[in-house]
Amino acid sequence: MKLFRLIILLANFAVAATGHAATNNFFAQGGELVRAGKFSEAATVFAKAAQAQPATGTLVNLGLAEWQRGHAGAAILAWEEARWIDPFDERAETNLKFARAVVQVDAPQLKWFETASEWLSPMAWLWLAGVSLWLAAAAIILPRAFRWRRAGWHQLLTAFGIFIFLASLIANVGIVSRTQIGFVLRKDAPLRLTPTQNGEVTSTLAAGEPARKLRMRGNYFLIRTANESGWIEQNAFRLVSP
Amino acid sequence: MRQFFHPSVLALLFAVFCARAQTSLQISPGGLIQLQTAQPAVDVTTPVTATAEFDPPVVRPGDKVFYRVTLDAAEAAIDWPEKIPAPSELKFGASAHGQTTQNLGNKFRSLTAFIYEVRPVVAGNFIITNFTVTVAGVAVEIPAATLEVVATHSDLPAPRQLQLETSVTNLFLGEPFRVRVLLPAGIRNEIEALREIQLNSDGLMIDKTAMRQSIEVTSVGGQLKPALVCEMKVTPIAAGRQSFSAQAFTAGREFSGAISIRGQVTIPGGPTKYILLVSDKITINVRPLPADAPPGFTGAIGKFFVDPPQLSTNRLHVGEPVHLKIIFHGENDLTRFVPPATPRSRDWQIIADKPPATGFTLIPQTDEAHETPAIPFSYFDPAAEQYFDLTIPSQPVTVIGDGLPTQLTAFDRDEKSTMPLKLSDLAPTPGKIATSLKPPQLRATLVCLQMLPLLGLLALWQWDCRRRFLEAHPEIVRRRQARRALRREKRELQKAFATGDAKSFCEHAANAMSIAVAPHYPANPQALVCADVLAQLDEANHNGIAGETVRKIFAAVDTQFALTKQTQVDSLALKASVDALLQTLEEKL
Repeated sequence: MKLFRLIILLANFAVAATGHAATNNFFAQGGELVRAGKFSEAATVFAKAAQAQPATGTLVNLGLAEWQRGHAGAAILAWEEARWIDPFDERAETNLKFARAVVQVDAPQLKWFETASEWLSPMAWLWLAGVSLWLAAAAIILPRAFRWRRAGWHQLLTAFGIFIFLASLIANVGIVSRTQIGFVLRKDAPLRLTPTQNGEVTSTLAAGEPARKLRMRGNYFLIRTANESGWIEQNAFRLVSP
Repeated sequence: MRQFFHPSVLALLFAVFCARAQTSLQISPGGLIQLQTAQPAVDVTTPVTATAEFDPPVVRPGDKVFYRVTLDAAEAAIDWPEKIPAPSELKFGASAHGQTTQNLGNKFRSLTAFIYEVRPVVAGNFIITNFTVTVAGVAVEIPAATLEVVATHSDLPAPRQLQLETSVTNLFLGEPFRVRVLLPAGIRNEIEALREIQLNSDGLMIDKTAMRQSIEVTSVGGQLKPALVCEMKVTPIAAGRQSFSAQAFTAGREFSGAISIRGQVTIPGGPTKYILLVSDKITINVRPLPADAPPGFTGAIGKFFVDPPQLSTNRLHVGEPVHLKIIFHGENDLTRFVPPATPRSRDWQIIADKPPATGFTLIPQTDEAHETPAIPFSYFDPAAEQYFDLTIPSQPVTVIGDGLPTQLTAFDRDEKSTMPLKLSDLAPTPGKIATSLKPPQLRATLVCLQMLPLLGLLALWQWDCRRRFLEAHPEIVRRRQARRALRREKRELQKAFATGDAKSFCEHAANAMSIAVAPHYPANPQALVCADVLAQLDEANHNGIAGETVRKIFAAVDTQFALTKQTQVDSLALKASVDALLQTLEEKL
């Protein structure tokens, strides 16, 4: 039985290592294709790499390839995904500013707790919340359990932990709230009054325009942009965190 | 100077002053009226006249004869009676009626004819008396007509009528088939034209635009005779058994359109006689199409083929049109062929070619289009009685997207600090990685992982509570320790018994008894003596075997301290009673 478990564990490691190697291969291959001017093929390869293992560099390069082939919406989405993993990625930030200036679209309008959630990555916020909570709990329980002499720093640590936990809790709510933000992929994507193919088109959206998903029905998302609401086809709109 | 005043040059200069702008053609009001009245007028003023006759006028009993009434009036104006006042010996069959327009040289006049199939039952002279019908509110008398029916006559002419032939009689709904209407030559091989040809059926659609006329020698009643043949395409539009006949007016020399003549025929001269003729009925069986029509079926029935589709190019830019040439072939006439419907595609704008061309113009809307959309098409083969798929397959294309600018010119130096002027370079490494773009906050595994410290702290708290409880209740600890020590002594006791070591057996038995009763005092087991053990036994055991066993065991142990030699007791024989005693004491712990 132990041998069987060991084999499974080794197999998992092998698969993970193979996947990582494949991702690196895709990344290198995509770079070569971009340098050769084959942006469409490069976008496909980078998309495969990002699907296998999302990484900031892969997504930045995917956005560059999409931009070069004229897909402003897909490029902005890729760079937003890179910023989702690492909010401090300079390349993604630079490219987003440039792209939005060119295609004349705004950045998503964030609520205050969503803005706060951008200060760290989602994983960092989760760990911060967990560690601070259990640090506070430990500061209460451990002195009693181990019969340590009561000290002021115990209470200070508890208060600090609770404070950090509450602050990070707000940021975590912001992370969850930001999962409903997406971007229009197609140029002049129709925004319809009803979720049907023959629904009245109330307006058209520019590629890369941000919107919030409100709900889904059939093949359509009900989204709210900065100015209006309406139904958009699923393949014309994608969330940063699908 | 002399050259300048050349006569031709002078004429040109003079023409400049004489010339005027070109004006539209001026037509006087009288001329306009002449244009409007270029066609002969329709005669509606001349009184309506009527004729009635039997064709032929002499027949044998049971022979077919046509009773024909002709009025020079429009059919819609005639109030024709339901029943003709005829003798009962004349049996009326199918009837027909039609209207045509007579060309009387300087005017047109409508001509309407009613024709009845009649069969006399017996010989004799029969008269359909004159009767009156109303034509546009005016009474018009239909003259009497006489039919002579002779019992025996060998050389009577047959009634003049049309012949009707069809290419098939068992076909499917919507399947086009050929119908030939023949007018055999009359006496002296005279061929007449036909007008207002129609088939008397509600379930047939006639394509008169594709009608062909010819004069050819054909078999009529077993005899080869020249005949006018009018061939047309007919499509059944209702399922079931259908009977239909043809009718037409003779039109003398008034052939419409081209006509091919084979053999020697005579075209009659003189004024045209417009006579309504009918044919016998033909019955066809129209079967409905199978219900499971595949996608792309546009009603094409027959046997069709398609050439490999040809794209004008397979590399194009977004928004650039490309033409897909599709050529269909068929065993039958493709006049009424309905080409494939224009498919709908998100990535392509598709425009069908103007009929009769069957190609498509496709415009890619995005560079994500890697192939043209498949164009579904299928047809029904009546011979095989099944549908066949003839879908135009997708054609691979490369669509090149239009790139976006990667660099901007700085117009405002103040904005330089906030807005980058170009895109970044490629990232050299994959950079920070994530297992998924789904946030860990929404992943159950990671949230569960955060709960692990909670379990640790709960365990710690539980341990602390238990510890405090035991501190408050030390007897529990003593009893637990006594039970543990007792089990240990009992194992040693068993070993001593097994080896036959009586001395060790007695020591371990005494120790075990002391350990078992120690928590009751509480006291250290080594401090207890025989009386202490006996004190924990009830009255019956105290004076019984158990008490005796305790005394013997402790006495045996105490012999080691005696100065004189003591009588040895067989301690090992007490094994059973020692076990029972220890069991009793253990239960009290």
